[in-house]
Amino acid sequence: MSDDAIDVREVTKTYTLGEVRVEALRGVSFTIARGEYVAIMGPSGSGKSTLMNVLGCLDRPTTGRYRLDGTDVSTLDDDALAAIRLRKLGFVFQGFNLLARTSALKNVALPLFYAGLSSRARNARAAERLREVGLGDRLDHKPSELSGGQQQRVAIARALVNDPAVLLADEPTGNLDSQTSEEIMALFRDLHATGRTIIMVTHDEDVASHAERIIRVRDGRIVADEALAQG
Amino acid sequence: MWQYLLEALSVLAANRVRSLLTVLGLVIGVTAVIAIQVLGAGMAGAVNGILGGVSDRTFVVFPNVQQTDFTRAAIRLADLERAKDAVPNVIEAIPAGGQSLRGAWGHVDRRVLIGAGADERFATGSPLRFGRKLNADDIGLQRNVCVLSDVAYDKFHMSGDPTGTSLHIGERRYLIVGVLGKSTTGIIPININADVTIPYTTYERFYTRGRPIIAARFLLDDRTKVAQTEADALAWLREIKGSRVEYQTFDRKTISQAIDGIFAGVTLVVALIGAVSLLVAGIGILNIMLVSVAERTREIGLRKAIGATRTQVLLQFFIEALALSAFGCLVGLVLGVGIGASVNHFAIVKLSGVVAPIPWLRSIVIATGFATVVTLAFGTYPAWRAATLDPIEALRYE
Repeated sequence: MSDDAIDVREVTKTYTLGEVRVEALRGVSFTIARGEYVAIMGPSGSGKSTLMNVLGCLDRPTTGRYRLDGTDVSTLDDDALAAIRLRKLGFVFQGFNLLARTSALKNVALPLFYAGLSSRARNARAAERLREVGLGDRLDHKPSELSGGQQQRVAIARALVNDPAVLLADEPTGNLDSQTSEEIMALFRDLHATGRTIIMVTHDEDVASHAERIIRVRDGRIVADEALAQG
Repeated sequence: MWQYLLEALSVLAANRVRSLLTVLGLVIGVTAVIAIQVLGAGMAGAVNGILGGVSDRTFVVFPNVQQTDFTRAAIRLADLERAKDAVPNVIEAIPAGGQSLRGAWGHVDRRVLIGAGADERFATGSPLRFGRKLNADDIGLQRNVCVLSDVAYDKFHMSGDPTGTSLHIGERRYLIVGVLGKSTTGIIPININADVTIPYTTYERFYTRGRPIIAARFLLDDRTKVAQTEADALAWLREIKGSRVEYQTFDRKTISQAIDGIFAGVTLVVALIGAVSLLVAGIGILNIMLVSVAERTREIGLRKAIGATRTQVLLQFFIEALALSAFGCLVGLVLGVGIGASVNHFAIVKLSGVVAPIPWLRSIVIATGFATVVTLAFGTYPAWRAATLDPIEALRYE
């Protein structure tokens, strides 16, 4: 069992918004093996964002158990969760979330700063990751000097710089045109081919079709969990 | 910690305009306070330079003007002759003050102030322009010699070296043995020296007969016991004049204490201005830091998402505030010292001729104090706000 990257058991999440109790997740269980490439799909309000936050250790489940890379993270405190995010997770966001007025290299090196690496070691690893995503010649460019696709590549390099157990992507192509989206999907496929575990939240069937498995969420429950034939 | 400082500096450098606006208030506040400090030191230096002209081996005693029996309190020549035996540490007591008399040099005729002078050991610190000051032989032999002040030199329209020529005061002729240079009293219009100083023995012989002595000048052996000797002198005067007489003493320390009192008042006002500017600058920093935290909400969310702990975010923003404050205070320090020293140079030093050292230590302490207080008081809250942001909310922030 500990071989799974992600092991979620009967996870619920309930918010209280003023007087109203919102049951965002109503008992979700699944496992994702190492090296899997999974898309999580669902309409807005389905609970897929909440599920993403729980998987990303940004939020704790109300009940249930969540093991990430063999560690039970369901009851950890904020600082311990931060440490887990630092060492085991890499995030890719729809809006890229790069630091403006900061070079691609420094953006990618940012997680390593919190890991306590020296400036020299940070820059060396960041440069290596940027070369892997095809931006070896853009190290000193600022986000404003890069195209949307290039910015997302920088964000992916940043997500990978600490060698995470799981790469979490939240609508990674939401802000990109279709051709650029294809390039990013191709990059994800390459990463998957090298053995990365990738979880991608999307509402776009075309994008989801690049994954090898789709988990469909609706009203806080998993309504379908299907494997896709890879072409 | 070093890494955090570098990170903070790179963030601040990447947002130059915002950073500069943030510290502007602090720069102005620190500049003002330090400039006034440097100016104050210049003023104090100028005053001390002036007081340097007053010998610290003498003090003056004079009867209070408002007392029931002024005649009884008046000091007489006979009293002065007894003083050096009666009061410990007193070498000599001589008439202080002087008389305004007509003097003539060649065919120039002017009214001049004649004063009694002691030998060099008790003379003022005024520089010599020509000749020499009075010496022990002049005093001992009651010589008819005189030393002119720079004012007298001008009054008689002298040019070149007048020593060796004679000055007529009334019927008497005095050999000019020296001329004093300009004393460093430019900024405050007082003249420490009489126009014409003659040996006090000569003065007593010719000018005190039958006249009341307004004040007495005591010449001391040990300059470190001025206060004690003053007390002894007053006790002795009461002993011979009766207990109801009232006197005042006047020495270099009395003057500097009076001036110190004025400076203490000025310093208090400056401290208040400093406190107000500190508050204003601090609120400016608080405001811009809060705006900065709000503006960087997504950045903070991202930093937390990629694994920054609360403490790390707190530390980062706190060090940013600290770096800003330190930078602002450093610039304020340099500007303040620069402005203060320039004003000193062009105004005070030109007038007084006294160059006071810049109070670096005090300035640095003030600037450091400002930086610390501003950071602690106004940088902590924004940093705490940043640290406690919920990463999910922060990432969603538009």
